[in-house]
Amino acid sequence: MEGELLDKASLLSFKLLKPMEDKKIVEESIVSFKEGLKTAPRIEGIPSGVEGLDELFFITRFESGKVIKETLNGFPRYAVINITGVSDTGKSLMAEQFAIKQASIGNTTIFVTVESPAIFLISSLKQRALAMGINPKDIENNIVIIDAASYDNLREDISTLLDTLAYTIKKYKSRNVVIDSITGLYEGKEVLARIIVRKLFNFLKKWYQTAIFVSQKRSSHEEFSVEGAGGYAVPHIVDCNIALAKKIIESSYEEKLYKKPIGEMVRIFRIDGCRLCGHDTSARLMTITDTGLVVIGKSLSEVRKEVK
Amino acid sequence: MRVIELSEIQEKDIDAIAVRVFLKALEILGGPRKLIEYRNLTWLPSLMVASYAVILYNESHKTADEIAQFLGSTKNTIRNMLKAEIEILKEKLKGEVEIPKSKIKNHTAGALAKLAYEEIKNGRENLEIFSHYLKEFSEIYEIYWPVEVLRSIKGLDFPINKQTLIEKLKYIKIENKNFLEIYEKLPNEIKSPSHLLKSIKESL
Repeated sequence: MEGELLDKASLLSFKLLKPMEDKKIVEESIVSFKEGLKTAPRIEGIPSGVEGLDELFFITRFESGKVIKETLNGFPRYAVINITGVSDTGKSLMAEQFAIKQASIGNTTIFVTVESPAIFLISSLKQRALAMGINPKDIENNIVIIDAASYDNLREDISTLLDTLAYTIKKYKSRNVVIDSITGLYEGKEVLARIIVRKLFNFLKKWYQTAIFVSQKRSSHEEFSVEGAGGYAVPHIVDCNIALAKKIIESSYEEKLYKKPIGEMVRIFRIDGCRLCGHDTSARLMTITDTGLVVIGKSLSEVRKEVK
Repeated sequence: MRVIELSEIQEKDIDAIAVRVFLKALEILGGPRKLIEYRNLTWLPSLMVASYAVILYNESHKTADEIAQFLGSTKNTIRNMLKAEIEILKEKLKGEVEIPKSKIKNHTAGALAKLAYEEIKNGRENLEIFSHYLKEFSEIYEIYWPVEVLRSIKGLDFPINKQTLIEKLKYIKIENKNFLEIYEKLPNEIKSPSHLLKSIKESL
């Protein structure tokens, strides 16, 4: 009988052969350097809305054998940028400033709010806009909010979020996406962080969006590293990382250095890698003004020189 | 600032929508029995692929590349499916007009799936299947008029003017009301069977 011919050995060889049959060359994935150059995006900057930050990203060009450093005047376009830090370091403020600045120059920005429901985010954005000298009315058509804080399905199901994002990008022709925070998308399931972040990253690249991810830290993480919830999943996947930290003045040396009394707090900012362009590598002082705006200041080495 | 509304959240069961498109496409072709009679069942795999392609493109905003990878097809096949022209298919289905040679390559399964998707978007599901499931629910909830209405309007080509309904539904009683009492409150144009059921419910 035909069935008897299929003894164990042939079944086993069939099983072994099957994956071989499934192997397929993905021709579409092969791109020649020459062909790729025709469609590769030009590296250019887009304003971040944060004073003191735009000049920290640069590209280099060669002129008469010399290397010339040229500031990008902003974040590199199409970059996915991760901003991480413990609470109250100014991550969300930076994300809001970016959204407002971009909206004010006519670039539609989608804001996926995962922590704060839309109405509270809108109040915050209005205040931030006023502090930046921008009339909220001038940006109201250029910011579109996806309220993942209020709708569980957007937080819990990445496909629903991606489909909603695709719909919104298409409908409003957006150029930027802010997700505050990305950590909220894998709350309680941090083992999935890499998969979720990878899907989002690939998606944003496909749609040519410049994006800001805000990611939270856990108490066990070193404060000034870019490690966040989900480990190094976010920083390894994204294009650029920014680490924010805060420090309490504890000695008279620090009092002198930071020009602040003991017990006060200072915030520190650092760009921890950007694969799209060159960047400043120093740790810098960062302040949050009374009106709630993040300003990037001098590097710590410059601050130290001033003390001498 | 614009906030995306609940209705705009794209929560979808892609598999279920693809099956709905597939079933609607079958209905457009005249039903499975017709395919059996004409020995055309071999069309079905291609129709299933096209149904998925149309849904993944329109509902999940996937690229031809991504769709091809997911369905195990080639990028060119998917592209041909997605750019297939519905109008040529309609002419083909009528069998009245000779298709110009330049357009003979129009991807039939692709065009069928596109047409079926358009029909579903306009609320015109596969009526046979729709009625079948509705009948089961009618028995559970003891509401029989929707099934009766659907049974009576079989064969109507939506959208229709409400006058068309008089002949078909004049003897039907809906929650102790004669259809003619309800008729006045119906909108003049009925877009689809589901629109009709919804309008009747609102008129009660």
